[in-house]
Amino acid sequence: MTAAIQPAAGGGNGGSSGDLADVIETILDKGLVIDAHVAIGVVGIRLMTIDARVVVAGVDTYLRFAEAVNRLDLTSSEGKELTDVVQPGAGMVEKAGQKLGELVGGGSQRDREPRRRREREED
Amino acid sequence: MGTPESGYLVYGVVPGDVESTGDGRGVGDAAVTTVAHGRVGALVSEVTLDRPLGTPDDLMAYQRLLDSTATAVPVLPMRFGTAMADIDAVEAVLAEQHDQFAELLEQFDGQAEFVVRARYAMDSVLPEILDGNEEAGALRNQIREQPEELTGNARVRLGEIVYQAIEAERQRDTQRLVEALGDTVTACRELPPSHDEDAAHLAVMVRTAQRDEFEDALRNLADDEWQGWATVRVLGPLAPYDFVQATGNGN
Repeated sequence: MTAAIQPAAGGGNGGSSGDLADVIETILDKGLVIDAHVAIGVVGIRLMTIDARVVVAGVDTYLRFAEAVNRLDLTSSEGKELTDVVQPGAGMVEKAGQKLGELVGGGSQRDREPRRRREREED
Repeated sequence: MGTPESGYLVYGVVPGDVESTGDGRGVGDAAVTTVAHGRVGALVSEVTLDRPLGTPDDLMAYQRLLDSTATAVPVLPMRFGTAMADIDAVEAVLAEQHDQFAELLEQFDGQAEFVVRARYAMDSVLPEILDGNEEAGALRNQIREQPEELTGNARVRLGEIVYQAIEAERQRDTQRLVEALGDTVTACRELPPSHDEDAAHLAVMVRTAQRDEFEDALRNLADDEWQGWATVRVLGPLAPYDFVQATGNGN
C-alpha cells in the first residue's frame, strides 16, 4: 500500500469520537495562561474536567501486551497471517477529522534490521 | 464583587490590525469580535457563566476558531476556558503583556503548528522485540506451557518487557522522525505519547511556504523506512498550542 496524504475526511471510520479525542488532546492544558493575580477581572468559569491521559503503565497495560504476544504466538503456529490478529486495521486508526488527513503505511515490512525476523509469507 | 452572569471568553491573541469580519463563531455559536490594544488584539466572544464549559461542542468550537484563524494570521491560543468579566479586563491583559505577545506573534508569522503522530504496526514490532530478548522468549514458553492461573506474574513481567522495549523504540523513532523532518520545520516539541503503541508524538512549526517540503519529508519516511512498521498521521495546520508556553506564565 502506498502512503498518501488524504483529503480532509481521511479516516473513513465515521463518527465524531475520533475528532473529539483529537481536539481534547490538541487543546487541553495548552495555551497561554493569564495570571489571575495580574489580571483583575479574570472570571472563574466552571470547567468540566476531562482527563485525556491514557498512557499510564500499569499491570493492565502489561497484561494487554502479554496477551498480544500470546495471540501472536498462537496464530503464527497455526500459520495464519499475523496481520489478521494484531495489526490495528484502518478502522482503529482514529479519524483525522477536519485535519490534514492521515498517512498510512502498511503492507510490507520495513527493511531496517531484518535480522532474525519471523517469516510472514502467505501460505 | 458579585458573581457576574456573563463575561468574555478569550480565545487567543492576534495582531492588532486584525479585524473580525463578524461571521466568526465561537463557543455557543456566539459572534467573535476583536479587542485591540496597540500592536496586539484578542479574539473574544460573550459567554454566560451559568453553565459549565467543556462540552464536546465547546471544545471543538474553540479549536475550530483558532485553527481557522491560524491559517490566515498568527495567533497565540489562550488556554481553553479563559474568561474575563469585561472588555476592559481583556484590554488590560493585552496592555500588560503587549511586548511579549507582539514578539511571539512576529515569531510565528507565516507559520502554523502540525502534530505528527506515528503508531506502531504491532505485528512487525512485537516479533522484533521478542526475538531480541531472551527473557521474553522464556516467559512466553512458560506462559504457553502452564495453566493460566499459574502464569500471572510471568504475564505481567512479559508485558513489562514489551512495554519497556516499545519505549526504547519510541525514543529511537522519535529521533528518526526529527531527523527526517530536518529543516522543513522551524521548531520541534516532543509530546507525551497518547497511546501505548505510539511510535512518535511530535509537535512542529512549519512555514506556510515550506508545507509541501514538510509533507514530502513525512511521506518519504512513512512510505519507505516506516512502511509496515508504523502508520503516520498529521494534524494541522493548527494554532501553535504547543509553542506558546514561552511567556513564562502557567506551566
